[in-house]
Formats: sequence, structure tokens, C-alpha cells
Amino acid sequence: MNTFMRWAGCFVVLFIAAPLVIVVPMSFSNASSLQFPPPGYWLGYYRSYFTDMDWLIPTWNSILIASATTILTMALVVPATFALVRHKFRGKGFADLMMLMPMAVPHIVMAVGYYSYFGELKLVHTHLGVILAHTCLSVPIAFLVLSANLKGFDRNLERAAQSLGASPTQTFLHVTLPILRPGLIISSLFAFIQSFDETVVAIFISGRDAETLPRKMFDSIRQEADPVIAVISTLLFFLVMIGIAAPYFASALRSRVPKPSRPASVAY
Amino acid sequence: MGISLSKLTEKADIWPWLLLAPLGIYMLIFFIVPLADVAIMSFTEPKVSLANYQKVLTGALYQRVFLNTFLTAAFVTLCCLAVGYPLAYLMANSKATTAMLILLLVTMSFWTSFLVRTYSWMVLLGNNGPLIAFLQMIGVDQPPQLLFTRFSSTLAMVHILAPYMIMNIYSVMKKIDPALIRSAESLGAKGWSLFRHVYLPLTAPGIANGSVLVFVICLGFYVTPVLLGSPREQMIAGLIGHQIEEFLAFGLGSAMAMVLLVATLIILTIYHRRFGLDKLWG
Repeated sequence: MNTFMRWAGCFVVLFIAAPLVIVVPMSFSNASSLQFPPPGYWLGYYRSYFTDMDWLIPTWNSILIASATTILTMALVVPATFALVRHKFRGKGFADLMMLMPMAVPHIVMAVGYYSYFGELKLVHTHLGVILAHTCLSVPIAFLVLSANLKGFDRNLERAAQSLGASPTQTFLHVTLPILRPGLIISSLFAFIQSFDETVVAIFISGRDAETLPRKMFDSIRQEADPVIAVISTLLFFLVMIGIAAPYFASALRSRVPKPSRPASVAY
Repeated sequence: MGISLSKLTEKADIWPWLLLAPLGIYMLIFFIVPLADVAIMSFTEPKVSLANYQKVLTGALYQRVFLNTFLTAAFVTLCCLAVGYPLAYLMANSKATTAMLILLLVTMSFWTSFLVRTYSWMVLLGNNGPLIAFLQMIGVDQPPQLLFTRFSSTLAMVHILAPYMIMNIYSVMKKIDPALIRSAESLGAKGWSLFRHVYLPLTAPGIANGSVLVFVICLGFYVTPVLLGSPREQMIAGLIGHQIEEFLAFGLGSAMAMVLLVATLIILTIYHRRFGLDKLWG
């Protein structure tokens, strides 16, 4: 069993790795179609990406929408998480469950709902509409990360600060927030990525005016499979790599034992 | 004294509600109402009747699509299990550095956008891609069409969803006490029976978690089946999108969306009763 499992495992490593790295050589290809291995190499598609407004505007829209989504999500989720982790009240179980519900509903169902509802509110094809929808979808992830952090919080630290004469506000600003900072950063990051990657709702409601990068990529793959997609894929691939490697290097610099982070779901 | 105490508890009771209120109101307006809108449209578009449900639940096309979706989701879940179990085993039973490298790879795959991974499979399986070239090299004159078939969309979905399975199984395997395996061996269990009666039951919670997650995501999968699958073998999500985009058939689309939602919620409710929903993603 042991050797069989090991060989199978090695095979699976290849299966997982191959599609991740294949976009890198593709992005330098000079073929106008999906040809692999590429007949020759050049940087032309990088130039196309960085000069073509049809790609740059959706990229900018995505960054803008994901940033606004992150801010709105955190503004709503942080107080709610404090309420749910630190207080006991009637209906808490229900509230806990509601926080996770947007994760349980398939995105296509939400897309149909937003398409019709935002149509009535005149929010279809607007940045605001996409931000409002994405915030709803980012709530569960931000909540899961933050509540796990807050549950592990040693409240004796706050009691100690208050017994030393700190006011509740001082305690919150100088004790609670600094200790929660890693959790806050990670949950913001997850909210950002959730919005930046979200495709299905964006396909239905972002339209031409608020077109996000995933929507533009989806349309492009569906229509002509523009090789510029390989460029964007490569850039995203390296962004993810930097994002994952950064905590390792940071903790290595502080000479701590690095711990691989287990991501929460950025589902659908 | 009694009065001030009750005042205190009252005051303490209002805090969580104040903190929850902004999010609660937000979720009501931007989550509950749009969902209710879908439910209402399924009964009222184009006119008030049960016609949409009748069509969706009895029409041959829709029945075929529902069946196809469930079978695909089940098959993808099985494939993810077949792919994920050995890899999780390899991670749990190799040196710390090897395990960390594999975990890094799986994490990379997990964080890479669905669209990027879907595009990669288009390159790999395309007519000018390496797989077709390999088939021609070993002497297959007329290589089969790989792209835009059930095969290509299933393969890509397995690749995209496998990380969920691997993470879940690995986190369980990592916690297995080696002493349990050793004591089973000392009592005479080995090979298949050791695996079947000791190791497999110990990893069952991870398998359950991973399978529910993969199955549920696959049921509502839109992007990959639409881009890589055969247009003649759509899944539910693709058909819903088609009804809305092409025909503006909000009633039919909504009724299908409701069926998908109910199916998803039934599975998750059963799971929630047994394990608790917060464990699924945590």
C-alpha cells in the first residue's frame, strides 16, 4: 500500500503542477493561437497587455472594486464578529449560520438575483453594484478568519490593561487591535482576493462600464482565446507565488519557524 | 440594587445587537432580498403560475441536465478523492520539507484563479497542444477531439477542486497518532486490512468534509463547464445562465436556480446537523 500510495502521490503532483506552470512559456509565445510548445518567443503579448485599454481598464476596475469591497466588508464584519464571539444572546446560533450563508448559495443563483434586483435599483453595470454584491460574498470568509482569531484571543491581556488604568478605548486601541492585526490583515486579504477573482456575478452584472478582469478574461476565452490571457495568467501566477512566499520570508527574517497558511475557501 | 442590576443586564444585552445591526441590515437588503427575488420570479414570471416548475421538473431537456449535473458532480468528487487521497498520504508521510513543498504547490493551485486554470487546460488539451502532439507521436493518426467535450470539462474540474479535497484529508491525516498504527500492527494488522480497518476509518472525517465541499461546489459550477464543456451537455448553472442571457427567461432561470439552491441546501443541512457548517471551510 505504502509504495503504491507514494507513486500515485508523485503522479498527482505532476497533474497539479503542469497546468499551473504551462501559462508561463505560453505568455512568451509568438503564435497567434493556442500552440504548445510555442514556435518562437517574444514579448509582444506583454506589450499588448500593457498598452491595450481594453485590458487595462478592466484591470483597474477589478482593483478598484476589490479595494472598496474589502473596506466595506471589514467595516461590517469586524463589529459583527466581536458581537458574535464575545457576547451570548438569543438567536446567536442563527446569526452565526447567517454569516456563512452567502458561501452556501451557488454564485449562479446570486447572479440571477442581483441581475434582476439591481436592474430595478439601476445598479446593473455600475461599480457600486458590483461592490455591493461582492461585499455580500466576502462576508463569510472575512468572518471565518476573524472569528478564529478572536476566539484565540487571551482576554486577560485586556483585563490587565484595564487594571493598570487604561480606559476601554485605550485598551481597544493599544491592546486589542495590535494583537488582532495579523487576523485583520489576513481577513482583508481574503476579502480582496474573493472579490478580485469573483467571476460569475461579475459576468452578469458588471456590464461594459464596470467590466472586471475575470469578466473580460471569460469573454475573451469564450470568443477568441486571445493569447494576452496567457500574459495575465502568468502575472497572476507570480502574484499568487509572491503572496504565498512573502509570509515565509517575513517569518524567516524574524527567525521564526515558518508555518504554511491554510487558505479558506474562495469558492465557486 | 435589584433595579440597577436589571438595568445593567439590559444595557449589556443591547451591545451585541448594536454591533450586529449594520451587517444585519446589509445582509437583509443585499442578500436576503435578491434571493427572495429569485424565489418570487420563479412563480410570477411571466405570469403567476407553477408553470415554470412544471416545465423544469418534467421537461426532458431539464431532467437530462439535472441528471447530468448530479452524475458529473458525483464523478468529479470520486476523481478528486482518488487523486487527493494518495497525495495527502504522501504529504502526511514524508519528510517535513517534502510535505511543505507539496503543500505550497497545492496552496498555489488553490489560490490561482479558476479562469487561469481553465485556460491552462485549453492549452494542454487544444488541437495544437502537447497532449494531441503526444498522441500523434505514438501513432494515433486521427487523435480524438479533447477540447469542448465532457472529458475536458471533467478533467479541469477535478484539477480545480482537488485542492479542497487534499487540504481536508491532509489536515485529518496529519493528526493521526502513529501509535495507533503501530499498535494495530503489533496486533497483527498489515497491508490492506490495516488500511481498511484502521487508517481509512481514521481519515473518514476528512473524506466526508472534502467530498461534501467538492460535490456542492461542482453542482453549481458555471465557469469551467461553460468554457471547456460540450455545448450539448450543459450543467445546471450553464443552462441557467443561458436562459437568462439568451432568452431573458427569468421565470425559467429562477425556477432552475431554486431547484439548484434547494438541492445544495439539503446536502449542506444534512452536513450541518452532523458536523457543523463552520467546520466545512475552517
